[in-house]
Amino acid sequence: MARPSPAILDDERLDAVFSALSDPTRRRIIARLSQGTASVGELAEPFAMSLPAVSKHLSVLERAGLVRRERDGRMQRCHLDARPLEAAGEFVEHYRIFWESTLDQLAQYLEEEDDDASR
Amino acid sequence: MSSTAANAESGDLALIVRRTIRARVERVFDAWTRPEHLVQWWGPKPVRCSGAEVDLRVGGRYRIANQFPDGKVLWIVGEFELVEPPNKLVYSWSLEPGAPSTERVTVRFEPRDGATEVIVVHERIGSAAVRATHAQGWEGCFDGLEQFLDVTRTSPA
Repeated sequence: MARPSPAILDDERLDAVFSALSDPTRRRIIARLSQGTASVGELAEPFAMSLPAVSKHLSVLERAGLVRRERDGRMQRCHLDARPLEAAGEFVEHYRIFWESTLDQLAQYLEEEDDDASR
Repeated sequence: MSSTAANAESGDLALIVRRTIRARVERVFDAWTRPEHLVQWWGPKPVRCSGAEVDLRVGGRYRIANQFPDGKVLWIVGEFELVEPPNKLVYSWSLEPGAPSTERVTVRFEPRDGATEVIVVHERIGSAAVRATHAQGWEGCFDGLEQFLDVTRTSPA
């Protein structure tokens, strides 16, 4: 079954996404934003963390293209863009397909050999 | 069956793939490590293994040739970090040609009532990308892997 080719992966952007994902706080911020937009204050609430500290994490996420901030009156609303995550996921998917197919071949080789030997 | 985990320290993603095979651990380990076996099964269909060299010891190197249907060959190369027959192997992993990487593969062969569960953990998947962004003149380091993907997705089931 043919599927369309995956999007070309931008090396620098992929690097930025992996760096963004390397911190548990940032992963939780991503999880929270996947449920809907939030202000910087709302994002800081679950962590014992100052607004500037959360803002630093948000900057890393922005550089990865995962989050954008928009002025909403006096506060900033944060929005998640999941597309870079999908690109990173595609990369892992490449390897998953590679390994599953390779292990299929190993199983076929050993199980057929075994069947032949027992005839 | 497979899953993905994020390593909080290094930020790299790891992929875990498992398969239970109806053969004893010693046979599975031999199939994985001996060139005379590897040329008969290694590779995601329809890639075939056209040659392999394995120096099975800590510090020893391996090279596996992956031949595509069009005749092009891509090598998987690396060095063994751990060799514990017949249950465990740990080795580095890079594609040639391609950007150098510090990816690492751990393979465990666990006995299950005369069968074997093969568990592959492929770590530091992001590392090739990181190094490619710092090196001059490299093409996309995913080219080799994309070739595997293209050929496995378009081959008949």
